[in-house]
Order: sequence, then C-alpha cells, then structure tokens
Amino acid sequence: MKPLRLLGLFIIPMGLIIAAVPQNKTNPYKLTADELLNEVNTRNQYVTADVVADMIVKKDPTLRLIDVRSQDEFEKFSLPGAINIPVTDLLSAEYAGILNQDVKMNVLYSNGTLAANEAWMVTRQLGFTNNYVLEGGLNYWFDAILNPQKPASTSPDEEYAKYDFRKSAGQALGGGGMAVQAASDQTATSAKPAVKPVAKKKKASGGC
Amino acid sequence: MGPLAPNELISENTNFLLAFFIGIAFGFVLESSGFSSSRKLAGIFYGYDTVVLKVFFTGAITCMLGLLFMGLFGWVDLDLIYVNPTYLTSAIVGGIVMGAGFIMGGFCPGTSFCGAAIGKIDAMVFVGGLFLGIYGFAFTYGWWEKLYMARYLGEPKISTTLGLSDGLFGLILILVALAMFGVAEWAEKKFPREAY
Repeated sequence: MKPLRLLGLFIIPMGLIIAAVPQNKTNPYKLTADELLNEVNTRNQYVTADVVADMIVKKDPTLRLIDVRSQDEFEKFSLPGAINIPVTDLLSAEYAGILNQDVKMNVLYSNGTLAANEAWMVTRQLGFTNNYVLEGGLNYWFDAILNPQKPASTSPDEEYAKYDFRKSAGQALGGGGMAVQAASDQTATSAKPAVKPVAKKKKASGGC
Repeated sequence: MGPLAPNELISENTNFLLAFFIGIAFGFVLESSGFSSSRKLAGIFYGYDTVVLKVFFTGAITCMLGLLFMGLFGWVDLDLIYVNPTYLTSAIVGGIVMGAGFIMGGFCPGTSFCGAAIGKIDAMVFVGGLFLGIYGFAFTYGWWEKLYMARYLGEPKISTTLGLSDGLFGLILILVALAMFGVAEWAEKKFPREAY
C-alpha cells in the first residue's frame, strides 16, 4: 500500500474521533496539596480586623465582606455592607462571579475563623484569587473593634494609637466606647496607625 | 499532569536535558532521511522532491493529534502550553525572508546543522550566514523594532478565530494536509529529475 494511503487510513479516523468528541472542559485542581499546605502555613489569607475596619470606615470600594455563616446568623448580625454566602452554598453557580474575580478584595468571615477558612480553602483549590479571611473572625472583631480595652498606662504609643483607632472605628461601626470619650483628648496627637496594604497574590504563572 | 516543566514535575534543567536528547534524535532522523542535502529542501520549490514538506507537515499533524488527545484525557493542560505570540507584520516579512533564504541556500536552520555535522561545506557556509544574520539583526535591532513589534495579535488560535472547536479544526487540517500530500506526489511525477 502506498504510504500516503496508509497515513490517511490511520490519521483520518483519529481526526474524526477528535472532531466528534466534546472538548475536555473539566477543571483540573489548580493547586496541589503541597501548594495549598504551603499557603495555609504562610497564613497569607488573613486580613486583620484593623485593616478591615479601616476599609469599612473609609468606604473603600474594593472591599467586599462575605458572611459565610448561615442566613439566620447573618440576619441577626452582620458587618456593614456584607453579603451572605453560607459555606453550604459556596459552590452554587450564582456566587461564582462573586468569588472568582480579580477586582474586589473579598474578605470572608465567620464567628471564629474555621468556617471562613473552609470557604477560603475551597475557593483557593478552585484557583480563585482575591479571597481573604478576617483574622480572628467576628469574636475577635467584637473584642478588638467594638469593645477595645484601654491599654495599660505603661504601653507604648503604638498601643495607644491602635486603641484610639479601634475606639473611633468601633463608634463609627456602632459599637460601645462612648464612655471613654474623655480619654481620646489626651492622645489626640498620636499618629494614626499605619494600615498595611494587603499584598495581592500573584497569579500562578505558566508557559515557557 | 503535564506540561511537565510549567507544572514543576520536572526541573528546568531536566527540561533542557530532555530537549538535548530530543534534539539529537531529531538531527539523527533528519540526517538519515537525507535532509542534509541542500537539493532536498530546494526540491520543494521546484516540485521534484517534496519529502521535506511531507515530513514536517506529518510531524505537525501528529503532534497536534497527540496534544488534542492528551488534552482530552486530561494528561496535558492545553492552557499552559506555551504559544508563540503573533506579530503579524514580522511574521509575514520573516516568512518571506526565510523562504527566500531556504530556496537560495538550500537549507533550513535544522538541516544546515545536520549538513555541517557531516562535513558539508555549503552547510557550514549557511550556518555562518545564519549567525551573521542573527548578529546583524541583534545589533541593528533599533532600526527594526517598530516593524518587529507591529500588529501584535496576542496568542490567537485559528480555531477560535473561525469559531470552530479545536477538534474540528484538527480534522480539517488533516484533510488539507493529505490533499496537499497528494498534490505534492503529483508534482514529483510532473517535474522529475534524473539524479540530484
């Protein structure tokens, strides 16, 4: 048989097969277990309560708070402007556009950090970026932002600055702290705490 | 799974080592198929010998089929395969320059090294010209930069541009290639040369 015919006999059926089968659109895991463990260990997913409070007060448009608790809990209390995506509904299609995007900074929170971390790990495994976890969760938020404790008189200025910020942020966000109004005059000149910008995670690079 | 190097299944150095062995095998096959003769490559342009066309196009469609099937099986993530970005103007100008060089010199870069390796003087001269061209381009890059960078298209695929699935475009390309092989074999009969 002529080589051309032989080639055609073999390669045309292969072409027919590849033309007929649907394209493989399955999403392979974007991160291996090692990579995920590494990310968990570096704790890069956490955003501190102070950063989040500052962004809320300044009405930073890039911030999007996502409450991953149940709808009941969300209705009882939620952070200002938060939306509710219960962990159980995390993978539903209507939330995909919210979780998988590169414009806003999604901050996931729950009462502690467990549920928020669960949600974060799932989104990370899907290869989504720009999802973060509120460090300490709502429990720490209540302690630190809404009911800040006055530091000891021997504390360094930074502690006072942090306290002042938390107190004023707490007031703006509807917490207690009115009783310590007088104290704020003494340290009015304290520098505002520098809010560290949150480093955007690099996209996984491929190619050559 | 694959591709091996971007997924860090093998290191960059292992990647180069594999490329080294594949390159040696490629050169060996080229030489043993007679590609180190400049008449072989020039033959395409005159129609008396179209082996080069058939071999390289068969290689291309085989590779395409392999990648499509491996992508289908999930062995290779096709999104991670490196695709040369397209600069349309330089692709056209470069194609003309390269084509003219092939027909005048009778070698392509790969076959010229094969020829040089077995001691052909014309191949060595071609390799010398190749380096002259590379250095000449590099040192005068400023003059060409605008032309070189013109009409950047990103990394387009013909299949997506035409709105076809990759598989369907693959089938069309296979049929086109086979038809072209048929024409090539006809040309070989039409423009025969006794000895070359």
